[in-house]
Amino acid sequence: MLPAWRLLLRHMPHLPSLLLWALVACAGSGWLVVNRLQQLHAAFETDARIVHRLLSQRVVQHDAIMATLALLQPAAEVDDLHNAASPLPRLTSVYPQILTVLQRTAHGDWPATLQAELAAAEAASRRTGYAAMAGLNLPAGRYYLVLAGTPASYALHIDLRATIPADEWPMDRATSPVRVTLERGAAAFVVQPGQADQGSGIRTYDFHKLLAAPSQPLDVVARRSVGLRELPWWRMLGWCLLTAALWAAGRALWRQRVARQRAEELLRLGQVARLNTLGELAAGMAHELNQPLTALLSSTQAAQRLLADDPPELATAQTAMARAVEQARRASTVVGRLRRLVERPDLAGQSQPLALATAVQDVLHLLEPELARHGVVPEVAAEPDLPNVLAEPVALQQIIHNLLMNALQALEQVPLAERQLHLAMVRVDAGRVALSVRDHGLGIPPEARQHLFEPFYTTRTGGLGLGLTLCESLAQAMGAQLTLAPEATPPSAAHRGAEFVLTLCAAPPAHDR
Amino acid sequence: MTDNARSLSPLIHLVDDDAAVRDSLGLLISTVGLRVQTWADPQSFMAGFDRASIGAIVLDVRMPGISGLTVLEQLLAQGVDQPMILLTGHGTVEMCRRAFKAGAAEFLEKPVDDEVLIEALQNAVRQHVRSRERHQADQQARERFVQLSAREREVLGLIVEGLTNKEIGRALELSPRTVETHRANLFAKLGAESLAQLIRRYAALVDAAS
Repeated sequence: MLPAWRLLLRHMPHLPSLLLWALVACAGSGWLVVNRLQQLHAAFETDARIVHRLLSQRVVQHDAIMATLALLQPAAEVDDLHNAASPLPRLTSVYPQILTVLQRTAHGDWPATLQAELAAAEAASRRTGYAAMAGLNLPAGRYYLVLAGTPASYALHIDLRATIPADEWPMDRATSPVRVTLERGAAAFVVQPGQADQGSGIRTYDFHKLLAAPSQPLDVVARRSVGLRELPWWRMLGWCLLTAALWAAGRALWRQRVARQRAEELLRLGQVARLNTLGELAAGMAHELNQPLTALLSSTQAAQRLLADDPPELATAQTAMARAVEQARRASTVVGRLRRLVERPDLAGQSQPLALATAVQDVLHLLEPELARHGVVPEVAAEPDLPNVLAEPVALQQIIHNLLMNALQALEQVPLAERQLHLAMVRVDAGRVALSVRDHGLGIPPEARQHLFEPFYTTRTGGLGLGLTLCESLAQAMGAQLTLAPEATPPSAAHRGAEFVLTLCAAPPAHDR
Repeated sequence: MTDNARSLSPLIHLVDDDAAVRDSLGLLISTVGLRVQTWADPQSFMAGFDRASIGAIVLDVRMPGISGLTVLEQLLAQGVDQPMILLTGHGTVEMCRRAFKAGAAEFLEKPVDDEVLIEALQNAVRQHVRSRERHQADQQARERFVQLSAREREVLGLIVEGLTNKEIGRALELSPRTVETHRANLFAKLGAESLAQLIRRYAALVDAAS
């Protein structure tokens, strides 16, 4: 019984890499979220500080105005506030946030409706020396600022709405998600409404700071809530897709590699299997032939001995000779059976017109790794307008393959720089096309030249000696010819090497068919 | 050749599943005066051949059911003492090595030349005759040795070690005369004609007994 995880792995071999991808995708997305939240927080803090500074600057102005009014006292000794010569009415047009300016002379009173509140504030101001607030109505954004003075005290009626510097404001007040309020106690003046559902998001940022004007101790409160919609969804999706694509590509590459390894393994196995089959065939053949040969030899030798006896035992010798004849026939039957067993189908019947150059290119493509390993770059030359040849495609490729492999093995024995391999395709006459494969190896020794096409003749240790024999019989079956070109005379270093020529029948021109 | 002489001439057992090979090899072997008994399969051969006969066994390696090499190993394990010659159609070095390691007398390739085969057979037969003789002599010596008394065996042991009668008498606290008597009895019981013969035949037995 396999453990559960192994069972799972067997059914989903890509599970580990898939999990790794999920981990990378999640980690990346998480980093994007954290990064975005940090950015939003930093922006919020900056905006809130700017807002605090801007509002503080504006309200501090009120103190300055009041101080100026107090300093102007002697000159502004007027009873009538609506006197055109007085600078007071002009204040409201210069500072839009100041709705009205009130003045109480030493003997006068504040307007009756405000008398109590303003008087209390004046008293507080006189005590502290600073201006004091009165009649605060934060939801409406209005309040009075009172500064006690001698002989006259002043009060400014201030509208916070007009204090807000729209042109310097760091945010778009209509659409910004940040809510900004000025608060005192439970009351609040909304400077900027922000988004409707504050506090429902995944993160909430808060900012609290009193205005930098001691006379107007209002709390600047900024609050911003980050909603799910503000997360970098598109970037996260992009990151996931990118890593998924990389994972898929990696998987495809891996599969390709595995497939290639498997193919190579199969090829190797196939070669081993072929060799084993060949060995088995040879062993079987040896046994099948050895039995009659043994009987044949023993019978004839027994007959020899019987005839040499004095007197010769003629009758027994005759029986022995009859047995010998019988065994010779048996051996010949074995050979015939073997021939039928390994007989190739008739190649001439399967010949078809095909382009020789294409066949050569196909084989060169197959052998590319082998050529590269030997450091050989073959030179291929083809006469223009070569006719098609009549051949069986597989047999033709096998012949070319064997010739090239032989050439490569010959080239192994010469230095890398001298490894030249020439392939030439020429028209011999109207009916024949020849392919020549010429290597620049050490060539074929004269004593080997005449045995080259004989079966089981090989100049290589470990060679079977069947390659060229097979090529020749394949060629002949297609009506083609394989020959070894004569040595260059006189032999020279420049012309050394071996050249094999495969002469094929040209296919009749297409319009005849 | 009389029937008696024929029955005394060595017998070659030939085991091969191929009738033609069997008949022709059999004929060839019989031309030099050796008797041949042919067997078509190893099983009936192993069950039926005369193990006491003097001669040799010729085995084909490649036979249906059981290989000649296995037959050879089994026969040796059963104590068969006839030399065995293996014949094969396609001998490999490995097979040859295995055959000799297992105890084959000879390893020949088919088709085999008459002279090679006959020489191998004659060598094997000579070897077998010698080993049978040696075995017989050993057997006789053992039978005689057990008839000796304890004292006679002691004396024999010292003789084999090379002591003179006097020295033996001192070692065994016997008078030289008594030693002389034991010595005479020894020679008579063991059928030895000389001191050298006595030592050659019985030294091994003395060593084994002590």
